[in-house]
Amino acid sequence: MKADLLIEKNEKSLRELLFNSSDFKFSDFGTGNRSYRLFYLETMIESAKVQDHIIRPLLTNMKGSVREAVSILDYSETDLLLDASKALVEGKTVVQINGEAKFYLLGTELIKERSVNIPMNERALRGSHEALNENINTNLNMMRKLIETPDLVVKFFQLGRRSKTKVAILYLNSLANEVVVAEFERRIANIDIDYVEAPGFIQELIEKKKFTLFPKALVTERTDRINSYLMDGKIAIMTDGSPDCLIVPVSFWAFFQSPDDYQIGWLIGSAIRLLRILAFILAFSLPGIYVALVTFDPRIVPFEIALTLQSSMQFIALPPVLEAILMLLILEILREATVRLPSPIAQTIGVVGGIVIGTVVVQANLISNMMVIVVALTGIASFNIPSYEMSSVARLLTYPFIVMASIFGLIGLEISFLLLLTHLSRLDTMGIPYFYSWFTADTIKDTLFRFPIRSLKKRPFESMAKETTRLKNPRG
Amino acid sequence: MIHLKKISINQLICLVILTQVGVSVLEIPYAESRRSGYDSWMSILVGGLFAQIAIIVIYQLGKRYPEQSLQQYIFSIIGKPLGSLVNLLFALYCAQSSLIVVISYANVLNRWVLFQTPFYVLVGISVVVAAYIASSTLRSISTITQSILSMFLISAVIILISGMGKGDWRHFMPIGTHGIGAIIKDAVPAFWAYAGYELLLYVFPFVKCNKKKDIFIAMSIANGLTTLFYLLIAIIVTYNFSESQLNTITEPMVYILRKFRWPVVQSLDILFMTLWLSITTVTVYVYLFLSARYFAFIGRKEIRKHPLLVWIIGILCFTVGIWFSDRQSIFKFSAYHNKATMIMVAIVPTIFLLISYVRDKVARK
Repeated sequence: MKADLLIEKNEKSLRELLFNSSDFKFSDFGTGNRSYRLFYLETMIESAKVQDHIIRPLLTNMKGSVREAVSILDYSETDLLLDASKALVEGKTVVQINGEAKFYLLGTELIKERSVNIPMNERALRGSHEALNENINTNLNMMRKLIETPDLVVKFFQLGRRSKTKVAILYLNSLANEVVVAEFERRIANIDIDYVEAPGFIQELIEKKKFTLFPKALVTERTDRINSYLMDGKIAIMTDGSPDCLIVPVSFWAFFQSPDDYQIGWLIGSAIRLLRILAFILAFSLPGIYVALVTFDPRIVPFEIALTLQSSMQFIALPPVLEAILMLLILEILREATVRLPSPIAQTIGVVGGIVIGTVVVQANLISNMMVIVVALTGIASFNIPSYEMSSVARLLTYPFIVMASIFGLIGLEISFLLLLTHLSRLDTMGIPYFYSWFTADTIKDTLFRFPIRSLKKRPFESMAKETTRLKNPRG
Repeated sequence: MIHLKKISINQLICLVILTQVGVSVLEIPYAESRRSGYDSWMSILVGGLFAQIAIIVIYQLGKRYPEQSLQQYIFSIIGKPLGSLVNLLFALYCAQSSLIVVISYANVLNRWVLFQTPFYVLVGISVVVAAYIASSTLRSISTITQSILSMFLISAVIILISGMGKGDWRHFMPIGTHGIGAIIKDAVPAFWAYAGYELLLYVFPFVKCNKKKDIFIAMSIANGLTTLFYLLIAIIVTYNFSESQLNTITEPMVYILRKFRWPVVQSLDILFMTLWLSITTVTVYVYLFLSARYFAFIGRKEIRKHPLLVWIIGILCFTVGIWFSDRQSIFKFSAYHNKATMIMVAIVPTIFLLISYVRDKVARK
């Protein structure tokens, strides 16, 4: 529908297009023989901008065109009512001169955003303390400032038939594998859904359907981390309204890396990396190992320790399997409660859960001392993993391991390990293996260990970068 | 989509070592010392040399058809109907190999670790794990095998530590009194223990390498390491037990592990046998995988449903395997299997190599 010459008529049609929204307002002013009308959504505009950059210049400008008068960067013209209504929703101010069938669309939107904060969910001792926030433009601004090169490509997509969420894909043109980029772009562009909840929806929708517990995309809110992954030739996916960024394609090992590893010396970095992987293994296997040792093979543990175990289990009525599962369930319930509760009460829960339940359960002879130690260690070990997704995987894997251990003992554990290993080795992101062995000279450098920077000459294998050499001359 | 199909030289070495090494580790050098006694370590060395010769034959055969596996080039060597038959024989042989490893190790577990678990449950669970792994791609299998190599290293360290106990070097003396004839005769059972390198017949075109010679070097390294490992066990056992003791102990390694006292772990043998399960599983799944691949080429067209084939063969292995719960039947079965190994691994590839040479000569004239 075209704009009408008459302002009143236009106002009526715009009101209809916006379904009589109550925040649709207009204001009239005029100088000399010209009279203007501004249409706007009062909830969307920044009034200071409108007053200073639109009304005042227009009042002083008698003859020149609107373009010459207003000092607004985001300027466009249209004669379509539909465009005008869209612009209104985006927070633009629509100006019409009486007697002219044309709208001037001026960007005056009010931007309310959280200031750039320190990362809340991914703490690191060293490294930048800058985290993404909910505004995609701010986020892109931070990333552009970190990577000041025209090589950094930003591509926008609109996702969601109704929500029209802005999604940006970032990658370095000279590094990212074009097959992977094209495939991810295709997958994102093909998503047809009416509303996206980022980043979870996107993560699930761009992956192939495959039954797995393991996260195939890394979620991060740290700009330095995104930076380093982009430099490896990976792709970052950001969504407007979400402070989380998705990194694809990643391997299993990326979930155990932390920016800290690269800031402190390589020996300490390697030690901490190893500790984290050990913690991951403990987090899903420790209760299983305990159950296997206690129920099947007390012959393996030395005699004195076997005696200690026996004395702690003497009056316990429950079999070790049930003990373990029960205690882990209690731990899970406590953990979920502390996440949901406001922080002052969460501490109380910690005291109630940890101390009261822990001691009373033992005093009541429901659960043995040893089991409380084992479960506590398991719980703390799962917190060592930098990625929340991966630590949830460990929490859930514990149960099948316990069950297998209670049926077949250590053999059952071994079999569970093999099955887990197989499952991991069979996973892939677009044909790129998700899990590769740490056992070869090339891959061991940044998986189990963190070798000195000068020996990390190649980019990680899973990003399939166009240029694999990262470091050419280590000496200054 | 990116498709990675080839395996690296490293992965080839891991695959070969772990396929070669299997249940026999517990029994070495019982079978090899029947005639050569305390000189059995030399038989094992000679067995390794025999294996090396077989590797040369298989490598030469592979080099003549570098783009294809045995399943495919067999047809150009001996024609369509015979080729299908050979594929079927190889498929059966591979299935049989994985079956014998499954039942032997289930038997070991039943006797030493899980006394009360029924035999068929042990067989079933080993077959399920192996079939699940074997139904993946060659690349995934290589990755898994590489990871299992760490278990192998732990087991090797356990063997090394426990073997350093009280022993006597005089058990080896005087060296070589049993005579060369006895040593070479006993190298034949040793040769059976080395089987596993025949996977090169299938894997050859899938190895990523600069020169074809790298494959041969890798195979030789793998076989050399296995020989070294077997030799180490033979030496440790002979160091610990005298010849008369060896004649009565069929699984000497278990006793050595059991008598070793370590303050952290009371009985190393259980720990070792648990860890060793993963290494025998490698042998089982590699053979299951190969068997399915050979079956795929039986008909006129390749059967593309690899996982289905693997599971069918796995179920067959299970149904046959549960009948071998007593040890005597396993002995009989393995005596038969050893002969089959000799034929399928050494004699058949040699014949193929000769035929293909002759064919080339004829074609050139």
